[in-house]
This record gives sequence, structure tokens and C-alpha cells, in this order.
Amino acid sequence: MATLRHKAVKVLAVAVAASFAVAGISTPAQAANKYTIAFVMGAESDPFFQAMKLGAEQEAAAKGVTLVWQGDPSVYSPATQNPILDQVLALKPNGLVLIPTDPTALQAGHDKAIAAGIPVVNVDTHVNDTTKAVSFITGDNADGGAKAADTLAKAIGYKKGKTYKVVVGLTSATATTNVGRLNGFAAQIKKSYPGITIVDKAYSQSQPSVANTNVSNWLTKYPDLAGIFAIDGTNAAGAAAALQAKGLVGKIKLIGYDAYPANVDLIKKGVFTALIAQDPAAEARLAIDYLVATLDKDKAGIAKIKHDVVIPNVVLTAKSSAADLKKYTYVAK
Amino acid sequence: MSNLVNRAKSIAGNQQALLLLVLIAMIAFFTSRNSIFFSNAVFGNIISDWAPIVLIAIGETFVIISGGIDLSVGSTVAISGVVAAFSMRSLTEHGHGSTQTLIVGFFVSVATGILVGAINAFLITKTNVVPFIATLVTMGAGSGLAIVFTGGGPIGGGPDAAIQLSVPKVGPFSYPGLAIVALVIVLGFFLHKARFGRYIYAIGSNEFAARAAGINTKAYLAKIYILSGALAGMAGYYYYLRLGCGAPTSGLGGELQAIAAVVIGGAALSGGEGRISGTVLGALILTTVTSGLIIINVAANWKQVVVAILIAAAVLLQEARAKGSSSKLLSNLFKKKN
Repeated sequence: MATLRHKAVKVLAVAVAASFAVAGISTPAQAANKYTIAFVMGAESDPFFQAMKLGAEQEAAAKGVTLVWQGDPSVYSPATQNPILDQVLALKPNGLVLIPTDPTALQAGHDKAIAAGIPVVNVDTHVNDTTKAVSFITGDNADGGAKAADTLAKAIGYKKGKTYKVVVGLTSATATTNVGRLNGFAAQIKKSYPGITIVDKAYSQSQPSVANTNVSNWLTKYPDLAGIFAIDGTNAAGAAAALQAKGLVGKIKLIGYDAYPANVDLIKKGVFTALIAQDPAAEARLAIDYLVATLDKDKAGIAKIKHDVVIPNVVLTAKSSAADLKKYTYVAK
Repeated sequence: MSNLVNRAKSIAGNQQALLLLVLIAMIAFFTSRNSIFFSNAVFGNIISDWAPIVLIAIGETFVIISGGIDLSVGSTVAISGVVAAFSMRSLTEHGHGSTQTLIVGFFVSVATGILVGAINAFLITKTNVVPFIATLVTMGAGSGLAIVFTGGGPIGGGPDAAIQLSVPKVGPFSYPGLAIVALVIVLGFFLHKARFGRYIYAIGSNEFAARAAGINTKAYLAKIYILSGALAGMAGYYYYLRLGCGAPTSGLGGELQAIAAVVIGGAALSGGEGRISGTVLGALILTTVTSGLIIINVAANWKQVVVAILIAAAVLLQEARAKGSSSKLLSNLFKKKN
């Protein structure tokens, strides 16, 4: 048994070492850059953060900043983010960009950085108290949901006095992005399109195949369905496949979220009526600009800093210019 | 009266007959709540969900009958689908036709599955790591690599014809669905009628005795882990056909669905017991619950509760059939394979 355990440990150790090597855990390059700025983000596996990373890398290179990019590979949780934040602060970066996975759980780490003289920008989500932060930069999920409602109503040819059934595919009941988008969508429908009813909702746990099962069954259950709002990239992919398999492309209007490259291709094929996209790269660029201005004590730059910045979501359709489609597609390296 | 009791007892002792009754009762229940459930379209949805689950569950059946466990099947589905998606995107970008691309994609997907299965086989038969740990290692590495390769999002850009292949053509069955049914029948033959299957049962019942009887147990164990990997590779390809893209989250938790299907189907985790027909029905019950709850408007979280009750019932039945056999469960899970 002892040798067995020994062997198991050996195998695990090799596997762990190999996985670190593959993941390419990076230490900050000791280059001649004047500042090191750390990004502590949500989950590496999310294309949203991949696109943000690309924006951060470009801006860091342009400003001569060394970038430390860290976060859990796939789990969006304060339990994994807090230890990572502690490690990153031990590297003593000059500035910190934090994407807190929980407003309460990350407050202490956030304040610890500020107490150590490290300026902090919150991006995407925020801690409860951001008064001491340089800025909070985010996309507007409620606005994105409202835009989805407007786009869907227009696509189905909404007329007063008529009734329409729509469904919403979500990933989770609690993720703040999902909640924000759903609330924005539902509020806009209540306000402007009372004839539209949300007849069903379901959760996909970030799996396109689960989203596909949900939508396939809805398409059978509601033969008179008018539209689908797929609230994120994985739901969008699953719903798009279901419409194609059932031969309902164009007949049932599909509004997706998140401009994954595979989904942007499907706008051109008419599967998506529209995709609502965020601009994570712009959020990252602005965060770095703000920190560099703060660290430079550049008065003109500091004067431009706003404490709360909302970067609006955009609606991508087949009529969007090629340049826009390219600009907003979430591109990883 | 005692005759009736005996008859009831004999039905209770026949897992397949019971599962069929449960399935019929479920269909009747869901239909009574919403008559649209009893339609070719819904059965098509159920079979579409069933096909990939039954593939990995059949592989898991072989593994569990041999007294082992394969936790890596879910992430093998993900990684093989993703690798196939990259290869098909590349072929499409280089102007290759869709038929050729889809065939190459199939072999790439299965080869990726075989590679993972071979790593499992190596760890278990050459380095003597217990199956639970060996497949835990490949499970973690596989799902991690699927995310690293893709950056998290689904990989599309392959042939447009892919999704059309997943559309039901013969009743509720798509052509790949029919191929999977045929494959399941062939594998059932291997398990229940051929020497290969008899040896697997022998190894799962008593590995020491099997080896003493001259069976090359390591070679057979290696083959079933490779088979399990190959079937997971096929399931990865099937998900690609359904979604028109390879997603790193496809197959997430698939190992638990597979194990649930096998256990509901009447196999014993202690090895040496189980039937393909039980697993087929077990998987069908799982996917019927999924579609049924959506059609009757019950939150999907209830599915987990229903499945938990079914697993508990299946295990209790086993317990009643062969007292004490499941007490071997834990010791066997961690049993060293020599």
C-alpha cells in the first residue's frame, strides 16, 4: 500500500508539474519597463477574459508596462481568487486591476492593496466600497438586456395588441452578468412590449450541449414560439445549433450574447438575428491608461479619469460593417 | 396468492423488466401532463441526448464489470471534440470538401479518445495506479487542456453539413444515431456472447482466479480502457455534429451520467455484474427525465433528485438480490490491479 501511494503521489506530482508547464504560469519579466501592473481576473477559460487579456497586453506594450495576468483557469470564485490576489500583491506591483468575483469577499484584499500604496481599478464587477479605488470600469449588462429586447421586438415585427412567446436560455440563476441581462431584458419588455411573454427559462451550466437540449425541447413544446434570447456565448451556440437542426433558421428570431468567433460567423449565415457584444479589450485598455496616469502623476491624464465608467454594449447584426464585426469579436491569441 | 408474490419477486429480480416498466411509467406520466410529450419530435430530442450518453456509458459498463472505474470519459468527450473541431476547421479553410472533412474529423476524434484511453491503460496496467486515481489524473488534464487549447469558447468553422447529420431521419433516429444503435448491439455481442466478454466478467469477479486460470488480465484491462476512450472520442464527435462546433464544456460531468446509467442499469460497482441492455435503458431513462421535465415545466434541478432516487432504488435492488455484495464496493474501487 505504501508503494502504491508513493506511485500515485509521483504520478500526480508529474501531472501537476506538467499542467503548470502547459498553463504557462508566468512570472513578471524583469524588463526595463517603468511599471508593473497586475490584472487579477475571473476565469481564464472565459473568452470574455481572453479578449480582455489581449487588450491589456496591447496597451501594456504600448505604454511600456510589464503586465502580470493571473486568475483561476476555470473557476469563477472568491475561494480561488483571494489566494491568487495575495500572491500577486506579494510581487509588489505598481498598480492593480481587479475583477472581483464577489463584492464582499474581495473587499479586504482590495483595501490591502490600497493601504500598501497600490492604486486599484475595478473592472467588469466591483467590490462593495470603491470610494478609494481609482475607477470602476464596466460594460452595462442591464443595458445589453434592454437592447436585446428592442432588437428582438423589432425582428419579430412587434405590433400592439398581438401576443408573442419568447424563451430565455441562461447559464446560472445567480451569475451577476446573467441576472443583469435578464433583468434589463424583462424590464424593457414590461415597459415597451407588453404583448411579449417570457414563457420559459432554463440553465445550461455553461454547456452548449445542455443549452441545445433545452432549446430543442422548447421548439417542440411551443410550436408558435416567436423568439429566443440566449444570454451568453454558450447558450447562443447551443440555441443556434438547435434552430439549424430543426430547420427554423430565420423563422424564429435568435438574439445571442457575446461575440465568440464561431457565433459571429453565424450572424453572417442568418442564424443569429443579432448578437449583443461587450468590449472587454476597451475596458482593459482604459484601466491601464488610468493607472499609468495615476502613477505618472500626470495632471492632464488624472483630470480625465472618471470614477465610474460604463462602456455600452453594442448590437451586431448582418448589417454591421465588417470592421465592426472584426473589432468586437472576442479574439484570443 | 403466494404464486402472485413469487411472480412479483421474479419481476423485481429482473432489472431490465423493471427498467422498462419505469420507462413506460415515465412516458405515461409526462404524456398525461403534456400530450405533446408523446410525439416523434420529443422522442427525437430524447434519442439525440441519449446517443452520446449511451456511448460513454457502454464503455463505462465494460470498465465497471471488470471491477474498475473510468472518471475520464467526460473530459475525453470534450478534448476529442475540440481536437476534431480544430482539424475540421483547418481542412475547411484549406478548401477540402465536407464529406472528406467529416470523415477525417471522425477519425481524429476517435484517435484522441484512444490516446486518452491508452494513457489510462498505461497508468493502470504498467505503473499499477488504481483506476480511480489514474482516470482522475486524465480527467483533470483532459478538461484543463480542452480549455487551454480553445481559450474557453466553442470552435466552429467546420463543414455546414455537420448539423444536418444530427437531424432525425428514421423515426426519432438520425443516421449517426442508427450507427450508434448498431455499434451498441455489436458491443453487446462481444460482452455477452464472445470470449472477450466472459474474460471481463471473470476478471471483475475475481482477478486473482482469472489470472490463475491463464487469462492475461493486464492485456484485457488495457483493451477495455482503450475501448472506453474510443467510445468517448465518438461521443465527442457526436456532440460536434449536434452543435456544429467543438466546445470545451461538452461532456462536462459526463462521467457521472455514465456511471449513473450503468448503476441504474443494474451493474455492480464491485465488478463481475451488469448487462448492456440495462445500461441502454438506464441511459434512456436519464435522457427521458431531462426532456420530460422541460416539457412539463419543472425546474431542471429536479432531474438530479429524480436520478438520485433511481440510483438509490437500483442499488437497493442489488442489495436485495445479492446480500453483502455492495459492501465490497469501496474496497474494490481502490483495489490494486496486478
